[in-house]
Amino acid sequence: MITIKLNGSNVEARRGMTILDLCKEKGISIPTLCYHPQLTPTGACRLCVVEVEGARTLVASCHTPVAPGMTIQTHSPKVIQTRKMIVELLLSAHPDFCPVCNKANVCELRMIAADLGVGLPRFRTKKRYYPIEDDNPYIIRDLSKCVLCFRCVKACREVKMANVYSVGYRGHSSKIIVDNDQPLNKEVCRQCDVCVLFCPVGALVLREERFRKISRKPFIIKG
Amino acid sequence: MSDENLSLELEKLCIHYKRHDDLLSFIKKVHEKCGYLSPENIKNVASLWNVSVGEIYGLTTFYVFLSTKPLGQNVVRVCRSTPCYLENCDMVIETIEKKFNIRPGGVTEDGKFSLQLVSCIGACDQAPAMLINDELYGNLTPGKIETILKGL
Repeated sequence: MITIKLNGSNVEARRGMTILDLCKEKGISIPTLCYHPQLTPTGACRLCVVEVEGARTLVASCHTPVAPGMTIQTHSPKVIQTRKMIVELLLSAHPDFCPVCNKANVCELRMIAADLGVGLPRFRTKKRYYPIEDDNPYIIRDLSKCVLCFRCVKACREVKMANVYSVGYRGHSSKIIVDNDQPLNKEVCRQCDVCVLFCPVGALVLREERFRKISRKPFIIKG
Repeated sequence: MSDENLSLELEKLCIHYKRHDDLLSFIKKVHEKCGYLSPENIKNVASLWNVSVGEIYGLTTFYVFLSTKPLGQNVVRVCRSTPCYLENCDMVIETIEKKFNIRPGGVTEDGKFSLQLVSCIGACDQAPAMLINDELYGNLTPGKIETILKGL
């Protein structure tokens, strides 16, 4: 056991756990997008950043292990401002046709934006539009909506052990690719919807669920 | 080189690189040998290293010096990072475009030249700079480019 100062109070933590794990145990909620409890952390979205005293930058709590003597601030003004900016930037590159999106009410990006009080983004950026891939009889992939959280890549690798997806290209043009950047249409995808379940936005949708109301209870969107 | 010979050679090469767990150097070597990474090559490399095809393709497309499309005999790489941009690299690109009548990323019809836009090549002190094959040319002006290209 090690002692850590979390938001001003001393708490006990086990060696090897991440800051996010600790916060969850202590009932502090930190927004996450690319993190999923069943997958290894990626640290791509930076939404879970916290302030650690002495660190050069804000650190992503999902993959930073706790260390003795850490002083952590999870909701300082700087952290909140950073998170808001990240969501705003994500939204500015995300297509704005939520009302017709299949995941409209159950979209994690929308939920986080609402929770943090981020409205319409101030920035006008070039959006990345890709043709919808519906070659596959099971999954419809719309990469325009993809936020590059890499959850589908990890889910396919770690849950299904199939390694269908990987990350290709660089910078603004980076995208999730299948083989030599081909449309998703593989035999291993038959009857498998692992990546669809892990996708936080509407980029991956089951063909049968498309245009149908998702029966899951919608998230309560504040604000 | 026939396909079978090539895959045999790759297999031999692979042993050395695998010992050092150095996939990127191996891809570089394959790129050097074949000129570019064709879908066939990518498939071969993937099966040799026991990873998915997408992984190799992703790695190849990440690095601007590795190509998945056939290149010309001489590759002109124009730096487009900030120092070169400030020193008017657009002029360099335009001059070459006009000279060869190709767009960035393209190959001339006779297959002799291809033009590529790359990130920093470490010649910021000589901006604007370009690489032709492995040769560095700095402090470029339209006249200078003309002479360099004529000399090739």
